[in-house]
Amino acid sequence: MVERAETDRPTGKADTGNQQRPQTGGPAPDRARDGEPEDQVLVAPSNDGKIEEPFYNTYFHSSFSYLEVGYALYFYSYSSWAGRAIYMEDLYVMPEFRGKGIGKALMSKVAQLGLAAGCNQLNFTVLDWNKSSRDFYMSQGCCDVTTSMGYHCMRCEGEALQHLAQP
Amino acid sequence: MEYKLRKAEPKDVPDILRLVKELAKYEEMEHQVALTEKDLLEDGFGETPFYHCIIAEIQGESSSEGNPKVGGFAMYYFTYDPWVGKQLYLEEFYVMNEYRGLGMGSEILRHLSDLAMKTRCTGMMFVVAENNAPSMQFYKRRGAEDLSQEEGWRLFRFDKDSLLKMATPAEE
Repeated sequence: MVERAETDRPTGKADTGNQQRPQTGGPAPDRARDGEPEDQVLVAPSNDGKIEEPFYNTYFHSSFSYLEVGYALYFYSYSSWAGRAIYMEDLYVMPEFRGKGIGKALMSKVAQLGLAAGCNQLNFTVLDWNKSSRDFYMSQGCCDVTTSMGYHCMRCEGEALQHLAQP
Repeated sequence: MEYKLRKAEPKDVPDILRLVKELAKYEEMEHQVALTEKDLLEDGFGETPFYHCIIAEIQGESSSEGNPKVGGFAMYYFTYDPWVGKQLYLEEFYVMNEYRGLGMGSEILRHLSDLAMKTRCTGMMFVVAENNAPSMQFYKRRGAEDLSQEEGWRLFRFDKDSLLKMATPAEE
């Protein structure tokens, strides 16, 4: 149920913006295929029409009649101390499909992909009120870097970013 | 003293590692730097770079042991927020002590912000240690938000050993 078959990645295939994030509750459209889950490489649309290197990759898990019930979105990053790293931006399983080990399986797949690419770390963020998630990740051998090293995640966006870019 | 900003080249790798170690020493974490020059060369200048670097090169000084030409640098890469799109992630940002006060840091940041806008990034992200008051002030003065404080985001990490355990397929 959990393992995916290796399929050819449709590199260069552009999905120009109609792809929505999986909505809570609704089933994905029917697909006339066998039940194997498929990796999708979603490419950010480019103004000049060229296909760019993917900025993120997504991993879907499906079962039964090929319904997408969960996903992990990840990309490669870099630590100036430890080198290659993999960052898990999103991990989501629809509520009705929880408790079956799907989240764990998705995370395990991200870990496998990271190790295959030579990564030494898997990083992600969790909200501090989300105690059940925090406890789950800690039980899997995680370390809370914000607590242990005092690292705060910072962002500069919108007007602040525009202002910074001015000469 | 004059300097110019430019893209890093393979020949800059020894200086990049030197500056990474200098910053780690300032954070009292020098022993944590496991990267080698070989790693930096493969990872930054191979077919698919994992990172990019901007170098601040001091002008008009002869290159020697005591007078390094590279006085500052920033290491960055691109990430993705599915809610708002591409981000520029600032992994490392450092100016040598002896070259501070020249506006080098501000100029590097301006250059990166401009690059972020040109590459259609909606934000620039990075991490600051909460006990690093000067850096916190530096960034907050320039409009950075502390997402950990304001929204409660905590950074979690699996190291190599935990990654190996997690990558083992579950028993069916």
